Amino acid sequence: MIWVYYACIPLYFFGSFRWPLLVAGLALELVYLAGRGLTLGRLPLIGPQDTLAFFSCSVALMSIPFVFSRELRGNRSFSWGCGLMAGLFALLSLPFPTLNMPLPPVLDTYWFELHVALAFFAYALFGVAALLGGMYLNGGGRNLLDLQYRAALVGYTMFSLSMISGGIWGYYAWGTYWLWTAKELWTSILWLYYSMYLHLRIKGPAWDKAFAWIGIAGFLVTLFTYLGVSMLMRSSHSF
Amino acid sequence: MLKSLYNKLCSLNLGLWLICLVMAFLAIGSFSRGAAEGGGLNEMPLFMFLREAPVSFSWWLWICVALIAVLVVNTIVCGFDALRKGRSLAPQLMHLGFLAIVLAHLISAYGGFKQPIQVIQGGGIYFPDGERLTVEQIGGTTGAMGMMTSYAAILRFPDGRRSEVRPNHPLFHKGYGIYIKEVGMMEAPAALFEIHREPGAPAALIGAIFFTIGNLMLLNTRRQR
Repeated sequence: MIWVYYACIPLYFFGSFRWPLLVAGLALELVYLAGRGLTLGRLPLIGPQDTLAFFSCSVALMSIPFVFSRELRGNRSFSWGCGLMAGLFALLSLPFPTLNMPLPPVLDTYWFELHVALAFFAYALFGVAALLGGMYLNGGGRNLLDLQYRAALVGYTMFSLSMISGGIWGYYAWGTYWLWTAKELWTSILWLYYSMYLHLRIKGPAWDKAFAWIGIAGFLVTLFTYLGVSMLMRSSHSF
Repeated sequence: MLKSLYNKLCSLNLGLWLICLVMAFLAIGSFSRGAAEGGGLNEMPLFMFLREAPVSFSWWLWICVALIAVLVVNTIVCGFDALRKGRSLAPQLMHLGFLAIVLAHLISAYGGFKQPIQVIQGGGIYFPDGERLTVEQIGGTTGAMGMMTSYAAILRFPDGRRSEVRPNHPLFHKGYGIYIKEVGMMEAPAALFEIHREPGAPAALIGAIFFTIGNLMLLNTRRQR
């Protein structure tokens, strides 16, 4: 099954400037994740390999509505950018071993799966927003900034829902909807960051460039929240 | 003077600066010893931690609490101002949700309770009023890889009623939640329980509902544009 996963990476890297190949890469990755899910009897969301694969797939999946949007239809650099991002995270996952253990009992709940899946969809949308910000700064029109705002707003909605489902899960699993761990502090920072980003929109066109840059920097905060905290800081709430 | 204060408190810039400062101090705090998981911050309600922990551990939390207090005032004044000017309801519902969640944290920080208890099969869990719940049975299943895949305990009330506690399925009794954390199947089966009281939970749930409704309304508004 892993060969299906390997196959999606060159498609993302070398073919995704044509949307059918981006969709083909996504389809292969979905087949791989579905196969792993069926084997494990759960969503593959434990450990760096599975989460990076899920993140990569989320990037490709969340980019699809934008690839077909009126503003970006036929824009090869956008679909290639999304493909590169999806391919990069798929590639990053390869050195890590797969964890095939059964879920620890405390993770065996739909609230956990909903919490993690929504968080990755949100991360992916923040990545798409950063890409759109980069395209705007590279001489694109203001409509790219509108799309960046939309991607970030939908991502923020999903991230908020992820935090809520995580809080409900935490209440039933640990007796509290909030724990003081590095991961949760950085999750709050990320949520506050995008709250600030969405409020900045009110400041008008004078802030367009800063708005685009802040959207790009937001993805760095996202990556630190996801990868940096898990790799550099001690937290029971990682991977 | 009052008008000038009102204008300052409902300023967007003030809110943005406060958010930036809260982020900065949370980020600094995440690297501090105070936020480390062995630092005791998760073992007691926040206000008790702030009272008892040395300031060298908790200084960033004090600053965050102070900044969030001003942010709450800023949110209330901005929300009031927006409603007065007849602006869209969706962001105000999100603000209301945020305020309810801050209130939830405040209530839990003051009245939360957590106590771990290790009990062997046949032992008891005691409540402050003297009531004893007997741990009648402790069981667990070990999977193929040697990991415990499920575990549970059956608790008996003084009136003879029985109730099961499993991971993600706590038992709620007299405002407390009884959570089973670990099970050891040695000669005498034993379990680690935690008794929690999280009085802010209803306010947090109400806040989450308000926030979500507002957020979905905002999405719908933006979609129509």
